[in-house]
Amino acid sequence: MSITLDQVTKHYGGVPVVNDVSLDIGDGEFFVLLGPSGSGKSTLLRAIAGLSGVDHGRISLHGRDVTHVAARKRGVGLVFQNYALFRHMTVADNIEFALRVRHMRGRARRQRRAELLRLVSLEGMDHRLPAQLSGGQQQRVAVARALAHKPEVLLLDEPFGALDAKIREELRRTIRQVQRELGITTVLVTHDQEEAFAMADRIGIMSQGRLLEVGAPHDLYARPATRFVATFLGAANLFLARRTPDGIQVGGKTMGGAERAAGGPEHEVVAVVRPEEVEVAPARDALGSRYLGNGVVDEVTFTGALERLRVRLDEAVHAPLLAAGDGDGRSTLQVTRTRHAYRGFEVHQGQSVAVGLRRVHVLPTPLSSFTACAQSAPLADELSRQPLLTELVARMKTRIAVRIEPSLGVAEEPCQAQGEFFGTTVSAAAGDNVRRAEWLLRRGVKDLLVLPEHAAPPQRVLIHWMSEAARSATLAVSASVLRHVPAEAVYVGIFPGSSDSERHSHGMRELLDARSEAQAAHGLEMRTELHFGDVAQELTRRLAEAPAQMLILGISELRQFADSFRTLLDGGRWPVLIVQRGAT
Amino acid sequence: MSFRKPSVLPGFGLTFGFTTCFLSTIVLLPLAALVLSAASMHWSDFVRVVSSPRALGSYRLSFGASLLAATINVVFGFIIAWTLARYEFPGRKIIDALIDMPFALPTAVSGIALTTVFAQNGWIGRYLEPLGVKVAYTWLGVTLALTLISMPFAVRAVQPALQEVQRDLEEAAETLGAGRMYVLWRIILPTVLPALLTGFTLAFARAVGEYGSVIFIAGNLPMKTEITPLLIVIHLEEFDYQGAAALGVVMLGISFVILLAINLLQAWGRRRHVRAAH
Repeated sequence: MSITLDQVTKHYGGVPVVNDVSLDIGDGEFFVLLGPSGSGKSTLLRAIAGLSGVDHGRISLHGRDVTHVAARKRGVGLVFQNYALFRHMTVADNIEFALRVRHMRGRARRQRRAELLRLVSLEGMDHRLPAQLSGGQQQRVAVARALAHKPEVLLLDEPFGALDAKIREELRRTIRQVQRELGITTVLVTHDQEEAFAMADRIGIMSQGRLLEVGAPHDLYARPATRFVATFLGAANLFLARRTPDGIQVGGKTMGGAERAAGGPEHEVVAVVRPEEVEVAPARDALGSRYLGNGVVDEVTFTGALERLRVRLDEAVHAPLLAAGDGDGRSTLQVTRTRHAYRGFEVHQGQSVAVGLRRVHVLPTPLSSFTACAQSAPLADELSRQPLLTELVARMKTRIAVRIEPSLGVAEEPCQAQGEFFGTTVSAAAGDNVRRAEWLLRRGVKDLLVLPEHAAPPQRVLIHWMSEAARSATLAVSASVLRHVPAEAVYVGIFPGSSDSERHSHGMRELLDARSEAQAAHGLEMRTELHFGDVAQELTRRLAEAPAQMLILGISELRQFADSFRTLLDGGRWPVLIVQRGAT
Repeated sequence: MSFRKPSVLPGFGLTFGFTTCFLSTIVLLPLAALVLSAASMHWSDFVRVVSSPRALGSYRLSFGASLLAATINVVFGFIIAWTLARYEFPGRKIIDALIDMPFALPTAVSGIALTTVFAQNGWIGRYLEPLGVKVAYTWLGVTLALTLISMPFAVRAVQPALQEVQRDLEEAAETLGAGRMYVLWRIILPTVLPALLTGFTLAFARAVGEYGSVIFIAGNLPMKTEITPLLIVIHLEEFDYQGAAALGVVMLGISFVILLAINLLQAWGRRRHVRAAH
């Protein structure tokens, strides 16, 4: 491996800007770190270059641990967005800088300079000053300068940011060509997904300090695992859909094009439909794909090769769209059509069309939507405005439904609202939480978030499961939560009795297993802690130690639930997300 | 020929008129009066006054000490400006404010303060005396006073330039393998060199014109610790206005030549870059 990052973490003022990033980049690979501004991608690049230290974790270059090695001894070449050329030096002096530092002889230096200038197609510019070059030429000089000392790794920090579209295209090609010619491992940081697609062998997508997904451009686009990646990599329509034994249902209609429908009970999922996978036709019969419903064309935009439509689905189509538009309430379906398609069937604003879906991709995320559940409408309404909940909903681009259960918490009373519980149910933490939590869990709630009134987004999420049956689901839910909350994940392993050496080594093994499963199956980096004693007591003690913590608790049976967790839950001091799986 | 060029900024005529008017009244007119006053002397009188051994001694001290003070200030001003521009530390704001104190203090006060510290029985002078170092009433004291009062000019000229040196440049140099001293010499100093020269010029100009603080610590021994501005005042006190004006003209001339030389040096430095490009 050329570059290996292991649990790299960097905080600024207590906030993690790079959060537990682990990554392997192969020899000669062109890797793109993609993310919005403030996602931590530049900080990560600077950490690889050695320009900023890390608080935790290790960085290795070609098997050499460089975590504590100064930038000038790391043997990397770095190119900055604003070129950072030495303005008082000529192009030749700029390029030879690294060679002079290394006391290379004049003749060899000149030879290498000529070589580099040829590589970036700037022959004959040796004696110009940077100020006399165009932006594109300056950046070429910067690339040549960064390559002069034959670094093992080339790092590019938004190198095209300050250039106009045409130059950018040209320089992109040059850099890719140079990279192939030299076979040098390269990491490029950008916020431009088109650029990432055009250049990358693999892309890593960062959001809020976390490396969410890593993969080949095509795979990430076709099969994103998270809604952030789905919407950040190109446009996407997100639906709340149902996974049923027959397949994926969108708006009550089974979409045959969906991927394998797993067995198990029906549950809510998030479905991604790319705009080019939506078909519009004059009538249902004319569709070549599965019919979703009718809609009205809201907007037609011509962009040359493609035509973009916004289609508002009829109310009768019960397919909740999650924030596909520019704002809430204006959720319209995005459609793009090729020239071929729009020549065959011309549409104009206000026209009614039949809509079909060619391909539906289901996100593996276990958290689909939230339902605020309370005894009365005002209470439920208040709960749905809780700051942590609204924050989560906004970050997850999902929605909050409201469900009224007047006899919530009254034992033996049945549910009064219609239908099953879908998604994550939210209950206010007020007084006898444990009784209400048990009431909801016994009536089919799978994921229950018990939310204190003033709970804020957590800085640390503690994870624990009571039985192995709940392990995998708890990890999946935790990974999903932590993708949207910039917090530190800690798995708290608790074993009964007191610590002795045999129990201790057994405990450590379990922790390592849990960590590697989280990493391999869910891309979740978490730290681990080992405690001995009573589970509820240890968790309560750990939660009380620091502010802004949250607990994710996996359970698979409710037999001793109330007795065990009364103290922890009834205080109503911490947000607790209970994941119930594997129950009979 | 017209000065008028199409511009989005209105009022060129007005501002240009104001500039010439203001400069003439405040700067050119008094200077012209000085030269005229000296010109009314007989040539041989003029030469006698300005080339008397006492006058020559005062030039040497005035310009020598000023150049020395400006040099000291460029070196230490750079270090102070570096500290202030680059590091966050408790009390940084206070030190930053302290820099300007010599601006605000009446110069006579600075003189008295320095004398208190460096006189033979002063706080520091007392310990220097047995070592054979006399500060007060020697050229050393004069240089010290001039350094004190011209220090803010050097610091304030360099500070903004240092703040503007892009960290990127240093980081780029670092990733290319350069050590700290190499970065300082090859990247930072060349970038702030124009600001350093400006600081030198300002500090020098301020020091040459200084009077108040020096007379307390200099002891004012003719030929030894007498600065030219003092000699001018002595002439004035003897109602020898023409003699004072004559010395003034000489100071004016020398200062002008030195400042011009520094400016040319800066211009040459800029041209060198452009020439290197061809």
